[in-house]
Amino acid sequence: MKVIEISAIWCSSCLIMKKVWKNAKQNFENLEWIEYDLDFDSEVKSYQVGATLPVLIFEKEGMETSRLVGEKTMEEVFKWLEENISA
Amino acid sequence: MIYLDYSATTPVEEQVLESYVKACKNFIGNPNSLHRLGVEANTLIEDATKQVASLLKVKPSEVIYTSGSSESNNTAIKGIAFKYQNRGKHIIATELEHSSVIAPLQYLTNLGFEVDFVKLNAIGEIDLEHLKSLLREDTILVTMASVSSEIGILQPIEEVGKLLKSYPKCLFHVDMTQSIGKVNISLENIDLISLSAHKFYGMKGIGVLIKKEGISFDPLIHGGKSTTVYRSGTPALPLIVSLSKALRLSLENLEEKQEEVKRLNFYLREELNKIEGIHINSSNCAIPHILNFSVPGIRPETLQHALEEKNIFISTQTACSKGGSPSTAVMAVTHNEDYAVSSLRVSISHKTTKHELSLFVETLKEVLERLKFTHERIEKNSRS
Repeated sequence: MKVIEISAIWCSSCLIMKKVWKNAKQNFENLEWIEYDLDFDSEVKSYQVGATLPVLIFEKEGMETSRLVGEKTMEEVFKWLEENISA
Repeated sequence: MIYLDYSATTPVEEQVLESYVKACKNFIGNPNSLHRLGVEANTLIEDATKQVASLLKVKPSEVIYTSGSSESNNTAIKGIAFKYQNRGKHIIATELEHSSVIAPLQYLTNLGFEVDFVKLNAIGEIDLEHLKSLLREDTILVTMASVSSEIGILQPIEEVGKLLKSYPKCLFHVDMTQSIGKVNISLENIDLISLSAHKFYGMKGIGVLIKKEGISFDPLIHGGKSTTVYRSGTPALPLIVSLSKALRLSLENLEEKQEEVKRLNFYLREELNKIEGIHINSSNCAIPHILNFSVPGIRPETLQHALEEKNIFISTQTACSKGGSPSTAVMAVTHNEDYAVSSLRVSISHKTTKHELSLFVETLKEVLERLKFTHERIEKNSRS
């Protein structure tokens, strides 16, 4: 199970979410986290990112199961991760 | 043409351009050269720097020339972080910052620095009590814009400066890009100040970072002494001279210019308030030069281009953010996603006329009618 994290260096919402993600990474150690920068990483093209950043994409066996877009609270991110892990 | 995007950039004043051309033609020497042409060029830079310092009420030795505010912001934030990281790695900012502040902060978090954001109150001003609660033993820098470029909120910079005097280990950087030449703010109690000439009718490619005496930082560009050791490179003499001229002209009759812009803003606000479906996002604590509004249900780019067809130029967000994305600044102040995804910025100047604003309002009404009619037809067709 993977979480793809797409952000941009100029995006204040991404900077705000960094603390939340750091916490999530510590609490969900079994998940593989992959970080992409919208402007610098060509891999981002395959994810069809819309206008709002940041984007978290949950992947199971190479398939996207869900995505979380924009600023979210710690509780929302944790809940989203738990739901996707158990789904 | 009706230009209403003065916060993105301003047209160069004729006198500024003349001083640039004269300096290019008449001072060909490298200011660092020891021969007569070099000495003459260096003397001109010193005179220009004295004028800049005098206008900003700082010392000439505190003036560092950069390529503009993005470089000034990067230099101040990274430079202070690297220099004082032994004191701590905690930095405080606001959500309203320009991307040239957010990006270096994000870069620093990747190197182990921690960034906190001060909460904003209902009108977009920073919550001073929250700022106090965020300040820690290891806080080395508070950075904020005096005026937010998107919605024009004027922050209580002087109060923050006074507050931070009680925290001698914490430096205060203010991005004054949108306030210099528009509003008077005391530079006392501020340690580092960024500004850019093209925002006050100067040339693009030249800016200043004021670094108060007694503070040091790690330069971004190493290469020996230029006009200062903090930014190497052959001094851009014509640009420096032109910046000095632009600054002097922009500060002349500042109060009169401000009053004129206030009158124009009042008129524009009144007229926009009469149009159904428009929500004004800039609160009363915004400077009159910037008026941000939303038209929920209509893509701002569509409206911007429709106005452009009529030779009217306004802006969607700032010129440095991702097109189509919701405005962080509008979201932070209004907490309304519909407003955040549909915001537009009109930025005016003392050079703007009431007639231009009147034409803008009339054209906006026509364009909105047309767009609404088109939307209604699309909806009707999709239902049938």
